[in-house]
Amino acid sequence: MSDCQGLGDCDDTRMQRIYEYLDGALTREDLTEIKQHLDTCEECAEQYDLECLIRTMVKRSCTESAPENLKNSILDKIHAIKPVDA
Amino acid sequence: MTLVKDRVVLPEPGYGMQPKSRQLTVDLATMSTTEPAAAAMYQAAGADDDATAANDVDPVSETSEQRRARFERDAMQYVDQLYSAAMRMARNPSDAEDLVQEAYTKAFSAFHQYKPGTNLKAWLYRILTNTYINLYRKRQREPLQSNSDTIEDWQLAKAESHTSAGLRSAETEALDHLPDSDVKNALQSIPEEFRLAVYFADVEGYAYKQISEIMNTPIGTVMSRLHRGRKMLRDMLADYAAERGFRAQTDDQAAAGSKNQEKEK
Repeated sequence: MSDCQGLGDCDDTRMQRIYEYLDGALTREDLTEIKQHLDTCEECAEQYDLECLIRTMVKRSCTESAPENLKNSILDKIHAIKPVDA
Repeated sequence: MTLVKDRVVLPEPGYGMQPKSRQLTVDLATMSTTEPAAAAMYQAAGADDDATAANDVDPVSETSEQRRARFERDAMQYVDQLYSAAMRMARNPSDAEDLVQEAYTKAFSAFHQYKPGTNLKAWLYRILTNTYINLYRKRQREPLQSNSDTIEDWQLAKAESHTSAGLRSAETEALDHLPDSDVKNALQSIPEEFRLAVYFADVEGYAYKQISEIMNTPIGTVMSRLHRGRKMLRDMLADYAAERGFRAQTDDQAAAGSKNQEKEK
């Protein structure tokens, strides 16, 4: 799909590098290298932006508040448990 | 001159420089309640922000009442987060509530095993994940097992034949307008082990190692689950965008082409 081979010679490798970059799972050296690449390659930068966006969307959509009574039900349950001593 | 400069720049082991620079990394909340030096050592040992008040806890000598109070103070603040994660596991809000209750009850009973200073939220997530796997999945096994295999195969095949790297930046804008419900549904439709890996990475920002501990799988497995899960999620989201009338991929290019033609006229 892509012509750029700056982050690897196939889309899978490229996306893996982008994910690792996004997840902060790279050495400082690799981090700098990928950052430099993203600064200059529009194609890979687009992929990166899109992944960032999806991450933000997931985060936004999946941050729910528990129903109000849940905390109290948990506390009730906990208080009903006989203490276990270490 | 250079000698002085060298002395200032290079921190020597056992010399006064190192403890001083460590103190700088201590967060103020910790410093205010404990000795800076102790807090600095604590920080250096890799403690994280869940380490609230870990220094004044001795799990061996505390009474069960003290432990209960500590649990309520430290663990109960994560109910919302656990509920959000449970919503990615269970199929409806009521099951998610049951799951969180069950996980908290287990966590409380096992709280004497929790090591103060380690990541409490991740510990709770691990219990939640185990509870889900042991309790709920077993319960759902009979009617769903054969089905879910098929769904998974179908989704894997789809994700692999799809060229998800083909999305265009117009797509970025289209995706941004998708409602939260679409995102949740898209996430819900990918196989659960991929879904949970994505959840822990994207929502909690956990490192691969932490996810591997929570899900009790090797790091390599976490990475491949994340990779495939994200690919699937992206394809799903592109489908949702297309359904809602945002053009995807080739349609998008076609649309851009016809626009250009119109301009030329």
